Amino acid sequence: MKQKIMPLITIIALFLLGIFMPVILKQYHLNMLTEIIIFALFAVSYNLLLGYAGLLSFGHAMFFGLSAFVTAIAIIHIPGLSLWNVILIGVGAAVIVGFIIGGLLLRHKGSYFALLTLAFNALFYAIATKWHSVTGGDDGLSITRPGLDLGFTSIPLDSLTNFYYLTLVIMGAAIVFCWYFTHTAMGKTVLLMRENEERMKFLGFNTNISRLILFTFTGALAGLAGVFYTLHFQFVSISAISPDMTTAVLLMVFVGGTKKFWGPLLGVFVYIILQNYLSNITDRWPLVIGVIFVLMVLYVPGGLSDVIMNVWQRFFEKKDNNGGKSATAEEV
Amino acid sequence: MSDIPVFFLHGLAYAGLLFLVSAGLTLIFGMMNVLNFAHAAMYMLGAYLSYTIIMQLTGQFWMALILCPLILFVIGALIERFLLRRVHKYGHLGELLLTFGLAYIVTELVKWYWGNYPLAVNITGFLSGTITIFGFIYPIYRIFIFLCAVLVGGVMALILYKTRLGIILRASVNDSEMTNTLGVNVPLVLMGVFAFGTALSGFAGVIAGPLLSTFPGMAQEILIDAFVVIVVGGFGSLGGAIVASLLIGQLQSFGVLLIPKLSVALVYLLMAIVLVVKPSGLFGEEQ
Repeated sequence: MKQKIMPLITIIALFLLGIFMPVILKQYHLNMLTEIIIFALFAVSYNLLLGYAGLLSFGHAMFFGLSAFVTAIAIIHIPGLSLWNVILIGVGAAVIVGFIIGGLLLRHKGSYFALLTLAFNALFYAIATKWHSVTGGDDGLSITRPGLDLGFTSIPLDSLTNFYYLTLVIMGAAIVFCWYFTHTAMGKTVLLMRENEERMKFLGFNTNISRLILFTFTGALAGLAGVFYTLHFQFVSISAISPDMTTAVLLMVFVGGTKKFWGPLLGVFVYIILQNYLSNITDRWPLVIGVIFVLMVLYVPGGLSDVIMNVWQRFFEKKDNNGGKSATAEEV
Repeated sequence: MSDIPVFFLHGLAYAGLLFLVSAGLTLIFGMMNVLNFAHAAMYMLGAYLSYTIIMQLTGQFWMALILCPLILFVIGALIERFLLRRVHKYGHLGELLLTFGLAYIVTELVKWYWGNYPLAVNITGFLSGTITIFGFIYPIYRIFIFLCAVLVGGVMALILYKTRLGIILRASVNDSEMTNTLGVNVPLVLMGVFAFGTALSGFAGVIAGPLLSTFPGMAQEILIDAFVVIVVGGFGSLGGAIVASLLIGQLQSFGVLLIPKLSVALVYLLMAIVLVVKPSGLFGEEQ
């Protein structure tokens, strides 16, 4: 009973905290927070592949960047397009591409999967760079945010505060949906596939189809994050679709830890703040982050969330004698 | 269309370079089952080291061709012994993440030391000259690249299939525990394989310097092409790497000639076709 209520309380508390943030934070920090929330969804979707399915993708930015570009292109070329349709088109593009590429990849796992996803990401990057007339190439595309039409009233999104609330609600809802997904039958299937695929096949599951669905689903979520990325910055450049963007999300997820659902959320928070801080004091911040990453792979492969869980168990769970141990093993 | 032989030769030269890069990659993958993301970064390091050796220290291309692989051999051995071996217990994911992180660090270090701009490596003497072939004047250096690739491929095949060392290598892949029991130091063998593969990437880097000049994006550019070579040729297959390199070299070369706007996509198109028709690659074994 306690286990079912705890996540709910956490979710509501986080939303309430989010609602009061514009009052507390200055414009600069609110800007950063909006970015953090957008990347949080990107990272959570990535962790569904890496942490839950055990698939290391080096191509997650192709969905993120594709949707980011499609959003910008749609707003520029179709006048009067409503925000809802922008989101629909952006995510739709990611779903279609995810389904096609997922179909090509579904037989591959492990190293093969990593290599192929990187190759496809590079293809999209090359297209974005070369197709100058549509994507703007190195110059990127600038847009203005369309207003939010709720049917009975419409809200302008020019101010950061309004856009922040929209981001909080939609990204937040998507993240909660991801969390819900991990508790559905499909989510459990993915998890069991990681542990023992042979056995799942014997039990009658078509693991290839499950992988395809998961790949498309995470692609769509990354695409949603990409749509909001463009809307937030009102600009999109080839960096959104470059393999470096995949690197960034991989670092975020890994720093936070892949074993817990909230690991990537923590990772995004730490990564973006660290990046802002480090880039102020040194030009070599990618090097610092790279070194931190390798040290973590060697010594803390579970990420920060693993460290926190260990500390938590050492100090708090001793008192909890009646089956306290099973509670930690049950989650991912 | 009278330029066709020239483009064919261009294709051969690029195929040679591609083979030199992907040979090391496929060797490490075939022997150790490690997909080395740091391979292209090592290739980049080799190219920049050759810049320092040729342009700043000795002025001798041959010196770079000998020294760079040696330096990278040592670096590769150290990486295998002190880093890669430690993460082995975490499985493939740990190895992939480690080599990926190393690639990131090496690329950043290279940018830090040599700067974030292209550096031209100039060669002098016989190799910088031209030769008349099929009635065209053609740079000797490009032909030299192709001959290097043939030489390296030939030596690798000879060692793998005709010597005692080759037998030990293949045995280590087949059943490492049994080979270990028979008195072969398998960890040492694997360290040697990794170091040799890294040295090969350094060799390729030196070769690439005068052809493409050294620039910060060179690692990523060749990494993708080398990956496509491995996918098309078949994972861990030396013969597959040869055929796929030749195929992709010509595809790149004639792609620029025939449909310049789409030439980038052609390579991926080939990869997609292979993935659909024969997912294990042209010469790969079924998984």
